[in-house]
Amino acid sequence: MNQPVPVPSRSQIELDETDLSIIALLREDGRLPCRSIARELDLTESTVRARIRRLEESGTMRVVAVTDIEAAGYGMLLAIGVQVEGRSPEAVARQLAELPEVFSVNVVVGAHDVEILVVAEDQAALDRLVNDQLATIPGVRRLTPALALDVLKNQPDWVPFHD
Amino acid sequence: MQARRKLDDVDKAIVAWLSKDARISNRQVAEDLGVTEGTVRARIKRMEEEKQIRITAVTNIDRFRDAALAYIWIEVERSGQTRAVARSLAQIPELGFVGVMLGRSDILAITMVRNAEHLAEFVHRRISSIDGVRRTDSTLGVNFVKHDYRMARIVS
Repeated sequence: MNQPVPVPSRSQIELDETDLSIIALLREDGRLPCRSIARELDLTESTVRARIRRLEESGTMRVVAVTDIEAAGYGMLLAIGVQVEGRSPEAVARQLAELPEVFSVNVVVGAHDVEILVVAEDQAALDRLVNDQLATIPGVRRLTPALALDVLKNQPDWVPFHD
Repeated sequence: MQARRKLDDVDKAIVAWLSKDARISNRQVAEDLGVTEGTVRARIKRMEEEKQIRITAVTNIDRFRDAALAYIWIEVERSGQTRAVARSLAQIPELGFVGVMLGRSDILAITMVRNAEHLAEFVHRRISSIDGVRRTDSTLGVNFVKHDYRMARIVS
């Protein structure tokens, strides 16, 4: 992804080249031992351990297992544009975000007000999700979906943390 | 999308731990689940090899300024060019998502940009120049409300 510029602020840590190098290695392999990271970057193991802890505790980075949507039981992925009326797009977006099948929610400017990415187990589950859940949310005027036939790449590196 | 083995209960229990913190030791996971450390190690290895999970660092977008998500819809000249254009797009490191779509347009690409100018420049320089691209339609995000990073299509 395009690399955003770190925000320097007192409440947040400033990232230097070492932090960014550690993040880059952990993106490739999240279980890379601190020993190997230290060797690769010519640092001590305790420095690497401390840097990782600082990145995690400041809420800057997490190392997690990402599950393939099909292995998790979902066979379909759709990108749906949502037109909103009579309610703020932010409020509709927050309500959409409560649904586990809606895994990405963005308030946008353009022909649609909110763009969402959703997954469904099969066609029947998709019908229930779209027509019983999404379409009945107050403020949702129209849903314009596109079905992903083939996903060639999906590596969302920069994401909002919640919880 | 191609068929892939679904996770069993032991796999799911291990992934539940790792989706919160994947730097946890195999021993801790094993103790909690009442299985051997060898089982945990073997399961993780298999899930990674079969591309059911990917263990990776994710970073918090709120820690970065001027970062907006951009949806770029791409229409190709001829439908027969869709796959080739999508493959070219997948090679662009800045794109986090590339999918061949049915409806709305032919291909969806998602990236992170600093602002509208950056988006326009990126599309002009990296996407419109690809052979077979007829037109693009970009949408800039103003508020990234949610992305469940525990879920993705694992392709590489």
